[in-house]
Amino acid sequence: MNDYDIIVVGAGPAGAMAAMSAAEGGRRVCLIERKAKAGVPVRCGEGVGYRGLTLTLEPRPEWIRATVTRARMVSPSGIAVDIGNVDKSWVLDRERMDADLVGMAVEKGAELIASTPIVSAEKTWSNRYRAVGVDGKGAEVEFTAGCLILADGVESRLARCFGWETALRPSDIETCAFARVKSDCIEPDCCVFYTGRAAAPGGYLWIFPRGGGEANVGLGVIGSRCRAGLPRELLLSFINRQFPGSKVTGLHCGGVPVGKWARPLVRGGVMLVGDAARQVNAINGAGLAYSLYAGKAAGAVAAKSFRSDGSVNHKALLEYQRAWAKNFGKQQERSFALKEFIMSADDAFLDKIAESLSKEDARKVNYLRVFMRAFASKPALLLKAFRLFK
Amino acid sequence: MTVIDPKRCDECGTCISVCPSDAIVIERAVSISALKCASCGACISVCPFGALSLEEKK
Repeated sequence: MNDYDIIVVGAGPAGAMAAMSAAEGGRRVCLIERKAKAGVPVRCGEGVGYRGLTLTLEPRPEWIRATVTRARMVSPSGIAVDIGNVDKSWVLDRERMDADLVGMAVEKGAELIASTPIVSAEKTWSNRYRAVGVDGKGAEVEFTAGCLILADGVESRLARCFGWETALRPSDIETCAFARVKSDCIEPDCCVFYTGRAAAPGGYLWIFPRGGGEANVGLGVIGSRCRAGLPRELLLSFINRQFPGSKVTGLHCGGVPVGKWARPLVRGGVMLVGDAARQVNAINGAGLAYSLYAGKAAGAVAAKSFRSDGSVNHKALLEYQRAWAKNFGKQQERSFALKEFIMSADDAFLDKIAESLSKEDARKVNYLRVFMRAFASKPALLLKAFRLFK
Repeated sequence: MTVIDPKRCDECGTCISVCPSDAIVIERAVSISALKCASCGACISVCPFGALSLEEKK
């Protein structure tokens, strides 16, 4: 029997942070990962805002591949809007960062159990939790703990064992394909976004430079407008058009939840973090900063919620949901409402905004101005917008 | 029922996130439970690599 205080399922950024902070809080923690190595292959565009990341974590210099100082948005008919006033952003080496985060959790005392998918979980008669996995040799293996943190990603199924409805509506998932492209045409300090039905229906296409003449090129299509294999087809045809003859490696795919964050985040002694909790900015699909914050908060709260007899005060765990709601939850809800608004826009609308912005001084254009212009050109939506930001 | 082409599957789990029947699991690879699958097609249309398709029961 493998008995712990806290079990964390999934060793991505949310899970690793949760395990790290729970171990720091003095608990016996195990961090269980389905794969031999978490974070491989990288399923991420690797772009992150300076502010969001550093709020939770001081990044190691070797995690940063490139610093982005400007951006460009290209409208459906090809009108480019230069956004000169962007917040400092980085393109990360996620493979390295994810491995280091797991290493840091282990350093703090968490026990890493890799190559062990968890197939089911339940509450036991003694008010504890049991998770059943399959180890590397195919043998069943059991873990028990007073608290269970589920960081099992977009594909999370375990939350279902505790009453959460985990199935996403097709309109609440971006289905993505991405690859690494090596080409002379890559601008080393500029993120480029393409919008519109031809590029990425209900999503966008991104080019994030990652140094060494390389970029992450990827796109997301909203699930409700997707058909089998469409993201892959669109990506490969874009790369062929835009970067003919370039070297393409690491073609992978993934899903990004773009619904509202899961409520509740805590049920009994079970907590959801990261993609499993749908903690993703629904407008741009960014989840790393949210995941790091949520993982750290959940782990710290869990560690504090043990009574001296070893039982867990379930009510005290709710502190995690309050902290999330206050710091990022509202912002995430706004991003969801904005997403719903953008989904109602057609290509002609995006072109109109781009045309008016393209005449402005690029140094003054920022992301907010892009949104304000969008709202201003659809006055009926202004009222809706005001309600959002109230 | 829905079947999976392992050569195309990248094991990203997008199909699992939309499955209303909890029929798809990912352990060493992705597999679909014939008992649970309702052939609703949700997973097929969201698969970024087109690895899923409907197949008549034999």
